[in-house]
Amino acid sequence: MSLAAHTPAPTAPAPPGGAPPAPRPPAGTAAWTAPLRWLRRHAVVLAGCAALGYLLLPNAVVLLFSFNKPAGRFNYAWHAFSTDAWTDPCGVAGLCGSLGLSLRIALLATLLATAFGTLAAFALARYRFRGKSTTNALIFLPMAMPEVVMGASLGTLFLNTRIGFGFVTILIAHVMFCLSFVVVAVKARIMSMDPRLEEAARDLYAGPVQTFWRVTLPLAAPGIAAGAMLSFALSFDDFIITQFNAGPSTVTFPMFVWGAAQRGVPVQVNVVGSAMFVLAVAVVLAGRLAASRRRTQERKAAAG
Amino acid sequence: MTAVVPAAPPAAAGPEPDPPSARRTRRLTPYWLLLPAGLWLAVFFAAPLVYQASTSVQSGSLEEGFRVTWEFSHYTDALAAYGPHFLRSFAYAAIATALCLLIGYPLAYMTAFRAGRWRNLVLVAVIAPFFTSFLIRTLAWKTILSDGGPVVGALDALHVLDVTGALGLTGDTRLLATPLAVVCGLTYNFLPFMILPLYSSLERIDPTLHEAARDLYATPAATFRKVTFPLSLPGVVAGTLLTFIPASGDYINAQLLGSPAEQMIGNAIQKQFLNVLDYPAAAAMSFLLMALILIVVSVYLRKAGTEELV
Amino acid sequence: MTILLSGVSKTFGDFTAVHPLDLSVPEGSFFALLGASGCGKTTTLRMLAGLEEPSSGRVLLGDDDITGLPPHRRPVNTVFQNYALFPHLDVAENIAFGLRRRRTGRIRAQVDEMLDLVQLGALAHRKPRQLSGGQQQRVALARALVNRPRVLLLDEPLGALDLKLRRRMQLELKRIQTEVGITFVHVTHDQEEAMTMADTVAVMNEGRVEQLGAPWELYEHPRTPFVANFLGTSNLLRGEPVGPGGEEGDDSAGDGALRVRVAGAPAPLRLPRPPAAAGTAADGAGTGGTSAEETAVGEAGTGGTSAEGTAVGEAATGGPLLLGVRPEKIALAPADAAHTVPEGHNALPGRITDAGYLGVSLTYIVETDACRELTVYAQNVERDTRLTPGTRVVAHWSPAHTFGLDAQGHGQDATAGREAP
Repeated sequence: MSLAAHTPAPTAPAPPGGAPPAPRPPAGTAAWTAPLRWLRRHAVVLAGCAALGYLLLPNAVVLLFSFNKPAGRFNYAWHAFSTDAWTDPCGVAGLCGSLGLSLRIALLATLLATAFGTLAAFALARYRFRGKSTTNALIFLPMAMPEVVMGASLGTLFLNTRIGFGFVTILIAHVMFCLSFVVVAVKARIMSMDPRLEEAARDLYAGPVQTFWRVTLPLAAPGIAAGAMLSFALSFDDFIITQFNAGPSTVTFPMFVWGAAQRGVPVQVNVVGSAMFVLAVAVVLAGRLAASRRRTQERKAAAG
Repeated sequence: MTAVVPAAPPAAAGPEPDPPSARRTRRLTPYWLLLPAGLWLAVFFAAPLVYQASTSVQSGSLEEGFRVTWEFSHYTDALAAYGPHFLRSFAYAAIATALCLLIGYPLAYMTAFRAGRWRNLVLVAVIAPFFTSFLIRTLAWKTILSDGGPVVGALDALHVLDVTGALGLTGDTRLLATPLAVVCGLTYNFLPFMILPLYSSLERIDPTLHEAARDLYATPAATFRKVTFPLSLPGVVAGTLLTFIPASGDYINAQLLGSPAEQMIGNAIQKQFLNVLDYPAAAAMSFLLMALILIVVSVYLRKAGTEELV
Repeated sequence: MTILLSGVSKTFGDFTAVHPLDLSVPEGSFFALLGASGCGKTTTLRMLAGLEEPSSGRVLLGDDDITGLPPHRRPVNTVFQNYALFPHLDVAENIAFGLRRRRTGRIRAQVDEMLDLVQLGALAHRKPRQLSGGQQQRVALARALVNRPRVLLLDEPLGALDLKLRRRMQLELKRIQTEVGITFVHVTHDQEEAMTMADTVAVMNEGRVEQLGAPWELYEHPRTPFVANFLGTSNLLRGEPVGPGGEEGDDSAGDGALRVRVAGAPAPLRLPRPPAAAGTAADGAGTGGTSAEETAVGEAGTGGTSAEGTAVGEAATGGPLLLGVRPEKIALAPADAAHTVPEGHNALPGRITDAGYLGVSLTYIVETDACRELTVYAQNVERDTRLTPGTRVVAHWSPAHTFGLDAQGHGQDATAGREAP
């Protein structure tokens, strides 16, 4: 480094446009611009909260209308308060059956997708092999494809192989689109793991199998759990792909709602939707609370 | 240790050299691990696409069976009959994507930089709606936008509906069964897909970069334009793709919130497949949709690629 | 531009990061804020940069009050701790960033000049992550200097560099500062870095300035145990003063030194009165037109209880005090050669418990009755082979190298400022 030729003189005048240090504006002018300034400073927060409102408004409406006693078959306009639907959630033919079917499919699909996806994630994260980029593309593509295309093409296949549409075809379809999400979630987790931890385990006399069960798998568990939860939610809530691959007697919950939307929506649908929402939020909040409590305890233990 | 002591048993003598067979198994390990998932995707994802490609050039009827006749008329017929559907799909999806970016960016920004200890709660609030079936939530928009409801009333009182009605975006007195309602539903349904990637790219930005920018005479606006936004571009690209692609194939919002005049290409495919049972036509339309999305996305990515991505 | 902090403080919730502080940094000086992490030095710097708003007090730059000015309107630039280079911009665009924001002319030319200055011309179109740590550091410096700020703030700018590079950059920074003549305010936890570069050092501890002055002054005449221990190593002995007129402390030598009785010492130790209480700075500190006299420090609102000379002043009135001596000022004589100890030296007999060989110097730990671990450094000129562990010795030093500290001030004990064991 040399300063031979160029030396900004200490007496150099401030460059043009240089901000001249100005004294603070007198209090008088600040008074009427203050609300405006506050608005400008918090514009982002206001817009963010508005967006949150937009996101949550339908859930509020669903909850509110689960207490409605609609005048006709459709539950779109408020008529009278009632808790009938909450006390008799299965009072509509087919609703609870479809709920059970959706739960069964979601559980099975999650199980299969999580198992297969985790194995694949390990292969992609930990090994180099021929055909890796092709495999990556094959796993990425289902996430970047409109559901209607996937649903229609799989449906076309089943149609011509004469596999009867029903439970099995829905399950196959759900595992197919859940796999990619599990792979992505687990792979990200494995990539972020410190490989030295496994090396340390090997150094401390753990064989490859023990290393996997005692170190690798517990470390990857959060990613696997995230992938499993994601695939459960995706499978449970899927409509488009299911519609192309369901049989006449296999009506999942989303398909029940779709059908109801044509004929008349029972209030019980809102009850189920609200109950799921409240349950999920409660579980998440309880988890956060437990985690933060554990953390404070750990901090106390560390300090004491 | 002295020479008298016999050599340690090989098991304890450090890393043992792999016998050739073990090395081969290790080389094969990734393939074994990939087998179930790969097979599943090959058979139930890739093969159907190929099969569908062949279906799209078949002719025949449900009664006589379909045969591959390299019949490309399905494609030209699809474009001729459903050109407006394709146009609407891409227009609605593009508008909804832009709206998602507009609405989602402030929320993601707030969550990443301004939420403080509320950050986790905001994230829960973003994800929470997922737990109620999206069909139920979309039906709730029917209530919100219903004729004579508060939203219609407010927009009418502000004479917004007169303007949008004249533009053909809404009816003169109603929102339901109008393009605006469909776009509103699409925006709502895919907003989380925009917010989450945006948030994860914003959250990764080192806050001292903001301080550095302000120290180097950047106003808050210039800091955003020159530092924050360019650094969040990967999230913007991911978010727009995750929003645009599924939105352009969606048919639920158009079905529930629109009228026949707002039908998108997804509605047409669904009808051809499930009601008309004209599988070659449905296949050809799916393929066209895929091809068009591919073109739009690659053009977009080329454009986005010229911006400096980190 | 003279920087003046007047009564500036910063609180976060119920935590006070910086207590009300008066500080003036003369124009053109290289000023270092030195302290351990969490002492408030970075907060002070951030208040100068405008990145943190003071909870009270005013920040003046020359005659202008810049307290409420946002950072982008201050003629002040910062070299950030981890450089904070914009990862999406190349080196040239990083350097041009400030110029573009202010829409100055000749941007290309100014950037090129600055690239030459930091010898990075060949790397102008590299992205920051393609640079080494030292190169990133130069970009950060160039990015700040190209704006010709009135004041350059450096927040641990060398912290991420390895030792060798750090030493080289220290000299470079010092040279650049001398040549451009801009006021540099430098935050560091590395006392050697502060001493090498700065004209004036302010040692901070727990949100307060403990002592301020030229590096040599802080080292030779620390005023608090914290400063004595944080800057280099000190041997501190607790003692009671006995007046010069007392029976034991007879002033027969006529040197005017205070006699201090230290438990375990065979004779009271001598502590010279500082020439004109703490006015010691004038000579020698004036490098670069800066003397510590121009630099005022105190705690606002505490009514003139500035730390100046309190230790010795109070000592005369009889309070306990700490006597200090630097390890390299002590000489060791074997016990059987005790007669070679010069007349009038402070002396403590003891036994060597440990001897360490560092090449350039030797370290001895001497156990004495007055102090269990007296550290002694000896130059490795002609090694005295008699000085091995177990040897009985007399440790002695000139009274002129003895300093006195207030034993009660600031709640500090003799170990304040020592690095954690």
